[in-house]
Amino acid sequence: MQDFDTLLKNSAEAHGHLCPGQVVGVRMAMLGCRLIDLDEPTSHKQIKKLIVYVEMDRCTGDAVAYVTGVKLGRRSLKFMDYGIMAATFVNLETNNAFRVISTEEARDLAPVYAPEIPEKYPQQLEAYKRMPDSVLFRVQKVRVDMSEYDMPGPTRKKVSCSRCGQMVRDNREVLQNGHILCKPCAQGVYFSEAEEITWPNMNWTPVQKEQQLFDATKALRHEGK
Amino acid sequence: MIKTIKLKDAVGMKLAHDITEIRPGEFKGAAFRKGHTVCNEDLCRLQKLGKNHLYLIDLEADEIHENEAAAIMAEALAGNGVVWKNEPREGKIGLKADRDGLLMVNVSALAAFNMVEEVMCATLHNHTMVKAGELVAATRAIPLVMKRAPIERAAAIAGQNGGVVSVRPLRKGKAGLIITGNEVYHGLIEDRFAPILIRKLTDLGSEADRISFAPDDTEIIRQAICTHIERGCDLILLSGGMSVDPDDVTRKGIRLAGADEIHYGAAALPGAMFLVAYIGKVPLIGVPACGLHHRTTVLDLVLPRILAGEKIGKKELAFLGHGGLCQDCPECTYPHCAFGKGN
Repeated sequence: MQDFDTLLKNSAEAHGHLCPGQVVGVRMAMLGCRLIDLDEPTSHKQIKKLIVYVEMDRCTGDAVAYVTGVKLGRRSLKFMDYGIMAATFVNLETNNAFRVISTEEARDLAPVYAPEIPEKYPQQLEAYKRMPDSVLFRVQKVRVDMSEYDMPGPTRKKVSCSRCGQMVRDNREVLQNGHILCKPCAQGVYFSEAEEITWPNMNWTPVQKEQQLFDATKALRHEGK
Repeated sequence: MIKTIKLKDAVGMKLAHDITEIRPGEFKGAAFRKGHTVCNEDLCRLQKLGKNHLYLIDLEADEIHENEAAAIMAEALAGNGVVWKNEPREGKIGLKADRDGLLMVNVSALAAFNMVEEVMCATLHNHTMVKAGELVAATRAIPLVMKRAPIERAAAIAGQNGGVVSVRPLRKGKAGLIITGNEVYHGLIEDRFAPILIRKLTDLGSEADRISFAPDDTEIIRQAICTHIERGCDLILLSGGMSVDPDDVTRKGIRLAGADEIHYGAAALPGAMFLVAYIGKVPLIGVPACGLHHRTTVLDLVLPRILAGEKIGKKELAFLGHGGLCQDCPECTYPHCAFGKGN
């Protein structure tokens, strides 16, 4: 694993800015990896051994994902929408798992650890670098029982929603009164007033050649008229 | 796990903790010690102490008794020069200096320690001069029984950088004094600075090895500094010439002598025009004229720290600000006052 300063610099660049949450996230990930004995989590050898459950969608979450290399699409990053500054690091090979929780008292202790810095965020940023892990975090040893449908790898199951026909992957369907439903049909959705539309330039593709040729021929035909 | 039982049913059981008795203005201490077997004769006294029920403790594997917790925490809190005995009284363990010296408190670690639930530690102020055997801190767990993990986390926090409290011995400084100022050098007035500085040095176990007088002349001041260092002085105190008048040239003399680090100005009153500089490892202290008039000045705050081996720089002089205002009492009670206690 790279040293803290390098990880922080690169993580902040990937995230878009340097902030106290980045410092906490980088340190949380470094501690989590150390606890489950992964020293190079992004290496080819270790990347498939690691799952991280992130419990917040804040700057810290991005830093944890950056340092560990876990990704939503690889199914190695699990987002648990708890609003809690914590992440659980699972070693799939040993089944060891540790939940690292950022302490609330660290916020109150920032002025004590960086008293020479008066502004809140720069003070927190520096203080979170100075605090030992024991002040910045609490750790729980936990057991994470993962369903085979949550594991990385190919899709293990696909079914269609009996109401809307939508394909649902990885056992995320809901059985209701004997009917297989997708979650939107069974539990409601985060959006409303859904209405299917057409949109300008609908036939755009990243590979434009054929479409451009077609459009150009059509234009010539118009001119010939 | 803790169970509560009625006092009348407690005969024959061992007490789970010390039971405190307070007689206002007369006594506060353990009336009964942990482990004491309750007998019929005790019941009346226990009732007078307000005890109609007692605890029966059956510790789970992940639980810890307050006495064991206090010992774990005391071990972690105690740094060099601090000792403690595993003899908790009413759950408390005192930490004592095992030598004379300067108490150093890791204030951030102390704050972090106390932010852990159910534990506490209170100390004397950072940078207090203490004697061997003096109580410098005390710790206890708040409840009678608690989980072991938070106690061990608190201990880890306390143990960072060698504990929360330590006592540094003061080295025996061999000081060179340079009394500057034309008025003294030419005999217009009698010097009163040297006796004051000598007393402050000897009070701290150091000695004034050499004294020289210099007029307001940078070159002569430079020479005096260099001569003192060549002749083995490991600490230089310069008085006068620290102000903003054209005749105040001591600072320039210090610079010419080769000081590679000069910090002028301290956030303390009296003593704003205080100076600390270093030539190699030899500290130079510029004492402003306030040292003549006030019994206690910034010198009394900084000199013990320098003799305890602390490197004093901009930050240390700036942090004196909180609590650095002397109240100039008609009768000075320092160190038993707030002066210099804020950092």
